[in-house]
Amino acid sequence: MRASFVFSEVATGLRRNVTMTVAMILTTAISLGLLGGGLLVVRTIDRMQQDYYQRVETVVYLSADLSANDPGCTTSTCSALRGQLESTPGVQTVIFESRQAAFARFQRIFQGQPELLQLARPEALPASLRVQLSNPARFPSIAKAFTGRAGVDRVTDQGEYLRQLFRALDGLRNATFVIALIQALAALLLISNTIQLSAFTRRAEVGVMRLTGASRWYTQLPFLLEAVVAGVVGGILAIVGLVVGKVAFVDRVLAGVFEAAIVPRLSYADIFSVAPILLLVGASVAALTGYLTLRLYVRT
Amino acid sequence: MIRLEHVSKSYRTSTRPALDDVTVEVEKGEFAFLIGPSGSGKSTLLRLLLREEAPSKGDVYVADLNVGKLSARRIPQLRQRVGCVFQDFRLLGNKTVAENVSFALEVIGKPRHTISKVVPEVLELVGLGGKAGRMPHELSGGEQQRVAIARAFVNRPLLLLADEPTGNLDRDISHEIMLLLERINRTGTTVLMATHDHAIVDSMRRRVVELNFGHVVRDESRGVYGVGR
Repeated sequence: MRASFVFSEVATGLRRNVTMTVAMILTTAISLGLLGGGLLVVRTIDRMQQDYYQRVETVVYLSADLSANDPGCTTSTCSALRGQLESTPGVQTVIFESRQAAFARFQRIFQGQPELLQLARPEALPASLRVQLSNPARFPSIAKAFTGRAGVDRVTDQGEYLRQLFRALDGLRNATFVIALIQALAALLLISNTIQLSAFTRRAEVGVMRLTGASRWYTQLPFLLEAVVAGVVGGILAIVGLVVGKVAFVDRVLAGVFEAAIVPRLSYADIFSVAPILLLVGASVAALTGYLTLRLYVRT
Repeated sequence: MIRLEHVSKSYRTSTRPALDDVTVEVEKGEFAFLIGPSGSGKSTLLRLLLREEAPSKGDVYVADLNVGKLSARRIPQLRQRVGCVFQDFRLLGNKTVAENVSFALEVIGKPRHTISKVVPEVLELVGLGGKAGRMPHELSGGEQQRVAIARAFVNRPLLLLADEPTGNLDRDISHEIMLLLERINRTGTTVLMATHDHAIVDSMRRRVVELNFGHVVRDESRGVYGVGR
């Protein structure tokens, strides 16, 4: 097989249908860009989940009676609760926080708001057993086991708020993927169309190739490579788009959020780690579409 | 070189078979005309020889290949041994004369140094040595057909199929094309030519195979177009 011949055929094909080629590349690029965006959201969410769930605690608030009269968790009720929590599977650590300690933390958190501090009394804050779970999903079974027990006021899980947040983020991710999928469908149809058009404009050449005994690869490879070129160029544009999107949009709009470490910072390393995926998906999907189109529509 | 054994070809769209139990043989190095009215099965026969279609019944052999049973992968092997020329030339309008001829070699992967050697030779053979750089639209019909013949012959096929090669050309030019096909035949290449051209068939006095309604109705070794004409 003479590579120079095949490549010159590819170049001719792409040049001849330049408007279709541009449309094909742009749609592919947008589709892959959205796919890349979706993948970056997934990475960010995963990292946020690790981060946040490490920090959140399940809190077993103790009754008013225990809060007032057991500052060291020495009564049998409190120490029994603590012992049972510690021996529950999935529990990493259990820390007792007395009413005084809770009040001290409250003062620390709201030190900027003296009016609030003046109003607050230690009596308003319950003592608690703060539980760090190795697996946040264990919360419901713990809540079930300890709610309503003697000395327990209520069991709360800070993770519940996070779950709501992550549900919203998951929705965002899914929406991105759905749009990417629809866009991918448009890209596939365009690739298929462009190949058919390309084969039609070159039917004289293809006819001569068939009659002179060119192998199917020789006849079809140029069309297939046209599709792959579109897929790869689309992938490159998508990666460029993600970099531009990071610099021009994400870094600016989310600067404060990154600064506060609420959302982990999106790095170039993140983009370049999804880049090969985009190129691979672009090239292989285009090649597959091209192959099927040639099989179905173009006689050899 | 060519052997058809009880070959029939039917199309789904027609009740009458295009070829009906045809048995015919063409020896290596022969020059034969295939004649008959439109719809008699000439084109179908040529298409079977090129494996553009497979026979419905019977066996077709070309250069020891059982053409009807060839796998898709091996069809190119057949077509590399068979050259074809058509009434409408089928040249590529955006390529020069030399490029049209070398295209046929490029697409079967011949090395560049071979191409640059044999293309001028074959252009010389067909009498277009000085016109390698011309575009097809700058040539007369007869010259365009010469390019097509050069393209069909450049890979030295064992068999040359010509489907009405003089159909678009006037009498004198047709005669020149026939001389060229004869010269190619003399190199050992078998030539099978489908035609309507009485004058040519009558003047050449070569083998004539006549088809009518898909049957071989006549096969003469030194025939004329119509009996008693």
